[in-house]
Amino acid sequence: MVSESTQAPALTAGDSALKVRMRRAGELSASLLKNPTTVGGLILIVLMIAMAVFAPLLTEPNTPDPYQMPRDWGAIAEPPGTPGHPLGTTNVGGDVLYGVIWGARTSLRLSVLVVSITVVVGVAVGSLAGFRGGKVDEVLMRIVDVFLSIPELIFALAIAAVLGPSFRNIILALAVVFWVKYARIMRAQVIHVKENEYVDAARVIGDSPWRIYRKDVLPNAITPVVVQATLDMGNIVLVGATLSFIGLSEAGIAEWGVLVSEGQAGISAGRWWASTFPGLMVFLWALAFNLFGDGLRDILDPRTETTR
Amino acid sequence: MTVVEDGGRTQSVAHTPVASVQDLRVHFRAKAGIVHAVDGVSFDIADGETLGLVGETGCGKSVTARSFLRLVPMPPGIAAGGAILFRPHHTCRDCDGAGCARCHHGGRVPQPCRDCDGAGCGRCENTGHDTVDLMTLPEAELRDIRGDRIAMIFQDPGKALNPALSIRDQLSEVFYQHRSRDLMADVGLDEQGGGAFSSMLRRKASLRTRRLEDVLLAMPPMRSRRNELRRAVDGRVADALAETQIPNPLKVMDRYPHELSGGMRQRVMIAQALACDPDLLIADEPTTALDVTVQARILELVRELQQRHRTSVLYISHDLSLVRRVCDRVAVMYAGRIAELATTDEIFANPSHPYTRGLLAAIPAASHERGRLTAISGSVPELVDPPAACRFASRCPHEAPVCRSSLPSMSPIAEDHEVACFIHHAPSGAGERPSYERRVR
Amino acid sequence: MAAPAADRATSQARDNLLAVRGLQKHFPIKEGAMQRVAGHVRAVDGVSFDLNRGETVGLVGESGCGKTTLGRCVSGLTDPSGGGVYFGLRPGVRDELDGLLATPDGERTDSERTQLDALDRTYRVDRMSGAEWRHYRRNCQVVFQESFASLNPRHLVRDIVGRPLQVHNEASGGALTERVVELLEQVGLGRQHLYRYPHQFSGGQRQRISIARALALDPELVILDEPTSALDVSVQAQILNLLHELQQDRRLAYLFITHDLSVVRHMADRIVVMYVGKVAEAGPTEAIFNHPEHPYTEALLAASPDLEDDGDEALQALEGSIPDPARPPRGCRFHTRCPVATPMCGWEVDDAVSWLEDHPGMFDALTGVTRSSDFDAWLTFDGEEAAVRLGATLEDGALPAAMRSALEELKVDENRVRLRFTPVDDVQLTVRGEGHVAACIRNQVPD
Repeated sequence: MVSESTQAPALTAGDSALKVRMRRAGELSASLLKNPTTVGGLILIVLMIAMAVFAPLLTEPNTPDPYQMPRDWGAIAEPPGTPGHPLGTTNVGGDVLYGVIWGARTSLRLSVLVVSITVVVGVAVGSLAGFRGGKVDEVLMRIVDVFLSIPELIFALAIAAVLGPSFRNIILALAVVFWVKYARIMRAQVIHVKENEYVDAARVIGDSPWRIYRKDVLPNAITPVVVQATLDMGNIVLVGATLSFIGLSEAGIAEWGVLVSEGQAGISAGRWWASTFPGLMVFLWALAFNLFGDGLRDILDPRTETTR
Repeated sequence: MTVVEDGGRTQSVAHTPVASVQDLRVHFRAKAGIVHAVDGVSFDIADGETLGLVGETGCGKSVTARSFLRLVPMPPGIAAGGAILFRPHHTCRDCDGAGCARCHHGGRVPQPCRDCDGAGCGRCENTGHDTVDLMTLPEAELRDIRGDRIAMIFQDPGKALNPALSIRDQLSEVFYQHRSRDLMADVGLDEQGGGAFSSMLRRKASLRTRRLEDVLLAMPPMRSRRNELRRAVDGRVADALAETQIPNPLKVMDRYPHELSGGMRQRVMIAQALACDPDLLIADEPTTALDVTVQARILELVRELQQRHRTSVLYISHDLSLVRRVCDRVAVMYAGRIAELATTDEIFANPSHPYTRGLLAAIPAASHERGRLTAISGSVPELVDPPAACRFASRCPHEAPVCRSSLPSMSPIAEDHEVACFIHHAPSGAGERPSYERRVR
Repeated sequence: MAAPAADRATSQARDNLLAVRGLQKHFPIKEGAMQRVAGHVRAVDGVSFDLNRGETVGLVGESGCGKTTLGRCVSGLTDPSGGGVYFGLRPGVRDELDGLLATPDGERTDSERTQLDALDRTYRVDRMSGAEWRHYRRNCQVVFQESFASLNPRHLVRDIVGRPLQVHNEASGGALTERVVELLEQVGLGRQHLYRYPHQFSGGQRQRISIARALALDPELVILDEPTSALDVSVQAQILNLLHELQQDRRLAYLFITHDLSVVRHMADRIVVMYVGKVAEAGPTEAIFNHPEHPYTEALLAASPDLEDDGDEALQALEGSIPDPARPPRGCRFHTRCPVATPMCGWEVDDAVSWLEDHPGMFDALTGVTRSSDFDAWLTFDGEEAAVRLGATLEDGALPAAMRSALEELKVDENRVRLRFTPVDDVQLTVRGEGHVAACIRNQVPD
């Protein structure tokens, strides 16, 4: 029996599936970190998430509700650099630094909640439609089409307006709007992956549809969803801030959009700080996830992956 | 290694070859290093002959062919050395292409060298014929040669034809690009002079009109002249299609590529390639995507057209049994180098490189007992920074130590037969030499 | 429907493993926003053959002949639209089945119907369930053409080759790994390849992995769908040798689907030649290659270059292109391209129309075709002159002689022309020798 020479480096006897998988994960992360903009995005993300997680240590939490802005009626509309208020205060005496730090916590909560709800719903709907096909697919996709026919922002705005102004309703509104995108991406991916002969091969072996979905279809279809979810971690905060800005959130909570909205009246009077710092945070948050998401897309793109 | 083969070249080419590849090296930058995809390839294509370039996946045959028209993307490709000399021809004036003594009955004569006007100089290698190096030619001059003097047909006509253009549009582009003078003559336009109108039409004939001019040309009174021009182009397109025996070319002209069968599309490609009567046709696996019964028809067609137009053909294929039917001479490539080059009859009667022998033995034939095919063990080596050794040594059944330490070069073993193997020309110095009697695996 | 004569001829009373009977697979063509079914692509249109234990049947034909669809039906990946694939019939049962199938569907008695239904539920692949289905699933495996696409890029070799064992609860953990090593060694790979991804292998090695996976459950039948088409000839030889060796060791039956005649001649004991969804000819390999009985087989052989032929001899080509399987030609499906077609081969109105299409000036004047059958129609032209001209051209003998002779009536009436051809039944497979059948009216031995 002749055997062909191999191209991969020779493996040692101690190799195991776990080791090989770990090595591959290591290789992927290494190539991810080769790109300086991706690293920049990652650093920003880590910093902002750390800020959100350690918010109670960085500033004294407000009582009874730490997500409400503390009021210092003795320091109204103070400029940055005021003792005790390094970034200044708002025109109702809210500490801007507190808003920036606890706003990160609010944003993290918002984006994690919305992204996880939408990804779960979208992937489930998209997979079902793509994997089953036929009537199920047709019905589900008509529903998706209805959602897609209304512009994202206006739809979210309408829902939030109907439900009444509150931060929870913003989360709800965004979740209702954003899952559709994942359903579309997932369906297209599943249909594409399903065409591969390894799915036929699994059927010939006699594997069950559920296991074929779990082992062959899902892992090979999920990558674009992961990339999109990363990008949306940033985008959702942007849209959420927009909704808050036009007053669909509760007044007085530590949320960047709310702060920008409340502070903007003062800009003409020269009190730029109240909206600039929260606005800058929204920008940095969205930027960080977009940079990282782009890098992720480059290395996870199945086309580049197979050549590696 | 410089042009080692040059000294030993024995081909008796009656007149200057239409193209000579000299020590061509095309490399690719990859993660693991530099891939030597084509690494010192030399051969001539004689006027009017069909040269087959055979080899397996990744042997560099397609890269070699694409280098003729500089279609290899750079980067990641690197032109690492060598030249592709090409000598454009024109129709013989004495006989108007019918074949006479002056054109060696080829119907075409090479153009005189632009530097020495036929006296012979360094540029034309003392041949007196106009010679260009396709690897270094300025892009603008290359564009004039592409599709006009050198044409190419690809493996998959479905991909090589633009799906958004009708067959008429695909083919007329070639004429606008390379035959605008003839088109002008067809509608009675001088090359110079005339009013703004004439110069507008002239630009139209070479596809250089602006949007506004197109609008003006679509309106009377210019419209009739423009339509005249269009009819002239259509006539040429129909003739080109008719030549590939497409039934009812006028009907086919209005179709789009996806409306045609694979065989039809390949005919359209051939019509497009031969539209300007090129000196050299590069056919890159032109029938691999076709069914056998259609393939046979296309091969017959290429052969017939080639004989009529006296075009030289570089025929790329992985299929030895096909090459045997089509080619005058065959070059067998392996891992970026030529292993063996000979006339077709010679190479099939007397294969002399162990790789060529292995390839021929691996093709299943009626006489083979089942399960007893002679497979070549192993697989093609990685071409990343290859050592100075015979590329086939790791798979060769007759390998000797010398094969691993030095690189064999092409040397003649008979008339019109060159081989790059130490079995036939032992390297200087002592040591065991490989031979067919020796079997290591 | 199956031609009973053909069934008896292609099958011997040996150890039958697979019986394909009157298999049809029609794909609907959907049109417009309402997805109305506008017609059917008849990818497989009534194919019958047998496959015995330990033998190789080669299935050859050009693109669109239905060989891949047939393979998918046999492997249970696609449900047929008519007929059936029967797996594991014992000789007596097979004769019983053939007896039942010999009666047309509408004429069976109630007891015959119950009998057939019982057989179908036990042996017919698309109707099996439970234990029968699991038995079939273990014993019929597939090796696909594209070794890259048929291996999950995210799975390690151990998981790919071991998966069948896992699914059928044969082994797990360390025992599974040892079984996989055993399988890898049988296909010329080894323990060092266990923990690698498919992309780390060459094409030939990947095909070995596919073969190891197919062998994991120790099947009786392996469907090889163009297993070497994507490989270079030197590697192809390795794989073909391996397949032969494995067949010898395990008494495997192969259904070898390919377009490559030299490969199938080397590998197959018997050959089925398909053309546009139907069997053109079937028989022992040597008979097919040495005494082809169907002009299509002859054409295929003449068009395939072979190193053992005379190199200077021109390859014989066929005119025209493969017909659209949505509207297959009547009579003999090959008559549109056949070099020896006779007036009795099924000439029809479509042939006349496509002839017009190839001739300048005629087709453009044609405005409508009113058919009363495939063989009889009125062609309407935009003017009387065109109709008269067509009538004259056809009379002139511009048409192929066979088509002209099949034309029973040619009548010009103002701007209309009536064409009526001799109606012909679809050609059936007839016996030409020991286990050799062909669907051609030429050299037909009267029953």
